[in-house]
Amino acid sequence: MIVLYLLVPLALVLAGAAVLAFRWAVRDGQFDDTETPALRILLDDPES
Amino acid sequence: MEREEVFCCTGCALVRAALREAGFSETVDRLRAIGGERQRPVAPDPLGVREMDTARFLTEHTTPLDGGLREADLVLDGVHCAACVWLVERMPAELAGVAEARLDLPRGRVRLAFDPEAAPLSSVADWLARFGYALRPTRGDEGRQRTEAERKLLVRLGVAWALAGNVMLLAFALYSGLGETGGALASAAKWVSLALAVPAVIYGGAPFFQRAWASIGMAWRARDVRRLHLDTPIALGILVGVGHSTWATITSRGDVWFDSVVVLIAALLTARYVQLRSRRLAGDATERLLALLPAMARRVTEAGTVEPVRLDELRRGDIVEVAATEAVPVDGTIASGASRLDNAVLTGESRPIPVAEGASVAAGATNLTAPLRIRVEAVGEDSRVGRLLAWVREAETGRAPVVLWADRLGGVFVLAVLALAMLTTALWLVLDASQIGLHVAALLVITCPCALGMATPLAFAVASGRAARAGIFVKSDAATQALTEIDAVVLDKTGTLTEGAMRVVRHVGDADALALAAALEAHVAHPIATAIEQAVPNRPEAVTAVHAENGAGVRGTVDGREVQVGRPDWVAEACGPAPAPLATLLRAAAEGGSTPVAVAVDDRWRAALAVGDGLREDAPALIQSLRARGFDLHILSGDHPETVAHLARTLGLAGSRAHGAVSPEEKRQRVAALQAEGRRVMVVGDGVNDAAALRQADVGVAVGGGSTASLVAADVFLTRAGLAPVLAAMASGETAVRTVRRALTVSLGYNVLGAAAAVAGLVTPLVAAIAMPVSSLLVVTLALTQRVPHSSTA
Repeated sequence: MIVLYLLVPLALVLAGAAVLAFRWAVRDGQFDDTETPALRILLDDPES
Repeated sequence: MEREEVFCCTGCALVRAALREAGFSETVDRLRAIGGERQRPVAPDPLGVREMDTARFLTEHTTPLDGGLREADLVLDGVHCAACVWLVERMPAELAGVAEARLDLPRGRVRLAFDPEAAPLSSVADWLARFGYALRPTRGDEGRQRTEAERKLLVRLGVAWALAGNVMLLAFALYSGLGETGGALASAAKWVSLALAVPAVIYGGAPFFQRAWASIGMAWRARDVRRLHLDTPIALGILVGVGHSTWATITSRGDVWFDSVVVLIAALLTARYVQLRSRRLAGDATERLLALLPAMARRVTEAGTVEPVRLDELRRGDIVEVAATEAVPVDGTIASGASRLDNAVLTGESRPIPVAEGASVAAGATNLTAPLRIRVEAVGEDSRVGRLLAWVREAETGRAPVVLWADRLGGVFVLAVLALAMLTTALWLVLDASQIGLHVAALLVITCPCALGMATPLAFAVASGRAARAGIFVKSDAATQALTEIDAVVLDKTGTLTEGAMRVVRHVGDADALALAAALEAHVAHPIATAIEQAVPNRPEAVTAVHAENGAGVRGTVDGREVQVGRPDWVAEACGPAPAPLATLLRAAAEGGSTPVAVAVDDRWRAALAVGDGLREDAPALIQSLRARGFDLHILSGDHPETVAHLARTLGLAGSRAHGAVSPEEKRQRVAALQAEGRRVMVVGDGVNDAAALRQADVGVAVGGGSTASLVAADVFLTRAGLAPVLAAMASGETAVRTVRRALTVSLGYNVLGAAAAVAGLVTPLVAAIAMPVSSLLVVTLALTQRVPHSSTA
C-alpha cells in the first residue's frame, strides 16, 4: 500500500490541474451563455 | 385565400422558404402559429445609431483589441431563434471590417469585434436593420457586474466540489475499514482530508461566514436573537465540525467529519448558483429598457443649421428637430410645425393626436407624419417618462415572505441547537463524560440546516426556470408568492385587453371596393390608413392622382376608377347620405369607440369600415376565469372613456369598474387606494403608462411580449402574446409556494430526527455522511418534480 503515498498526491495534482482549467474556462466566459452554442452546431461552417 | 405569413424574423422566413422547397410545408404550417405570436421588431432609431459612431461612444463603450479592432457588447432586439443566430453570425462573411459576431440569444446581446474605420457601427446597424433587428447601445454596467458575480461564484463552486470530491474519496477509504485498522496510512488520510478541507472552508465557505457575521452583528445591536440569519447555524455547524475534526486529527483520537462538512458547503453553493442564474434573464430587462430611450437629439443652432448632440448636452430653451417616425427625445412645447403624435407608450391613448404650435409634448411619444421643432423644457431624468422610470428603478429585490420566514428561523434554530447541546452535555455527563465532546460535535454537524437552506432558493429557482421556458418571467421570489395571494385585479386596456394596434374590426360592402380603398391607403402614412392597407393582401397596383385632405380622408384614381376613402361626413358631401346597411355600421362604430371610415367609388357609396383596436381573442376567457375565482376586477385606461365603457360592456363588467382617461400617476393612486382598502392588487398592463401602477401593485404583470418599457416595472412579464399566460403564471406561483412549504417541512423533519439521534449518541460520521446528502437530495427532488405550468394559449 506504500504506493498510495505517491498516487494520492499525484491524483490531487491532476485534480488541481482540472480546477485550473475550469477556472480558465469560466473566466473566458464559456459558461455565460449555455443556450446559443447548442444552436450554433446547426449552422453551416464558415467557408474557409 | 392563403393566410398572410408572419415570421418572427427574416431568418425564419428564409428557413420557411428552404423547407417549402424541400417539401416540408406541413411542419412549417404548424411552426407558423409560433411565428405569428411574435411581434415585429422596431426599426432602429437613426440618431441612436449615429451616436454609436462618435469617438466618445467608442472610448466609453468599446474595448480595443489587437490589430486596430475594437470589441463592443451591444443590445440586439428582435432575435428569437436559431435562424437569428445563423443570420447574425454570418455578418463577418458579408460585411467587410467585422471580424467576429457572437450572439447571446437568451439575453439578446451581440458581441462584435470590428474595425471602426472599415465598418462603423452605424453600417453594422444598417446591415442588421435589413433583417429587422435593431442594434442599440448598452447603457450602464449592471449586466457586466452581474456576469462578474456569476463567474466568481461558479469558480468558487467548482473549487468547492473538486475539494469535496477528493475528501469524499479519502472518507470512503476511512469508512471501509482503514479508519478502524488505524496506522500511518489512516493518519495520512486524515491529514490530507484536513489539508483539503481547510481551503474548502475558508474559500468555499466564505459567503456563509460573511453573512453569518453580519447577522450576528445585527442581532447584537438589536439585542434580538431573532435577527440571526439561517447562515448563522450553518456557519456554526461548519466551524464546529471542522474544529472538532482538526483536533481529532492532531491528537489522532476521535472522529473526523471533513467529508460531511465540505459536501455541505459545495451543496449550499450550488443552490446559490442555481438561484443567481435563474434571475439573470429578468435582470437583463432593465438594461434593454434603458437602451430603448433615445440618447441623441438634433439641436437647431442659432445659424439655423441642425447638429446632432447627446441628450445630456441639451439645455432648457434649446430647440430640437424631430423628424417624422422618430421618437420625441425631450419634454417641451412645439415651436413650429404640425403633426400627429402617437402617445400610446406614454398614456395608453391608442388614437394618434394632432398637435400644432404651442402644444406640449412628452419624451417617448412618436412623431408620425411631419417634422416638428420643439423647445426643450425637461430632459432625461427630469422628463415625465424619466421620472416614471427613475421611480421604477428604485425597486429593491423583494424577498418572499416564505423566504423571510425561513431566514428568521435562524435565530430560533440557533437557540434550539444550543439548548439541545446543553441537554446532550447533561445527558452524557451522567452516562459517559468522556464522550460529551463527540456527541455535541455530532449534534451540531447533523443539525446543520443544509436542506433547510437549500429548500426555498431551489424550489423558487426551479419554478422560475420552468416558467421562463413557458414565456413567463418572474423577477423575484416575493412576486411568485404574491401571485398566490391577490384578491383584486386591475387591467389596462390598450395592448393588454386589446391588441394595441389599429386594424379593421368590421366591414360591410363589396370586396372590390375594399381592395381599391386598400390600394389607395397604401400611399398614405397614417395609422388608420396602414390598418386598411393591411386588411387586404392583394391590392391593385395602378394608383395615380393621390390627394390627401388633412383630417378628412384621401381621394385618388385606382385602376382608372375614382376612389374616395375617409370620414363619413366628408364622403357624404360628394355622394349624399349613406345607404342603410352602411350607415348602421358607421353609427355602431362611432358608438363602440372605433373610427368609422367610408369608401366611395366613382362618387357612389360602396363600403363602410370600422377601424379600431381589436379585443384580444382570449380576453373574455381571462375575465371569465378571474371572475370565477372571485377577484375584484377593474379596468383603468388612458384611452377615451367612451371606448373604455364600451369595452367593459363587451366583457360584461360593470361600468363603475371601468375608467377611461386615467393618467399614469392617477393609475398608481387608484391602485394605492385599493390597497388602502386592504386589497392585494395585481395590475396587468403593457406600456410605460402602466409602469407606476405596475410598481405600486402587489404584483405587476406586463403582457404583450418583446422588450417593452413596462418590463422593468413589472414583477412578472410574459413574452408570449395573449392573456392565457397570466393564468399560467398564477398557477405556477401556486405550485412553487406549495413546493417550498413541502420542502421546508421535509428538511425541518430531518433536522428534528437528526437532533434526536445525536442526543441519543447514535450519530457517527458515517451516519452523518449518509443522512445529510440524503436529506438534501430529497429537497432537490421535491424542487425538481414540481408540476410544470401549462402555457397553451388554447
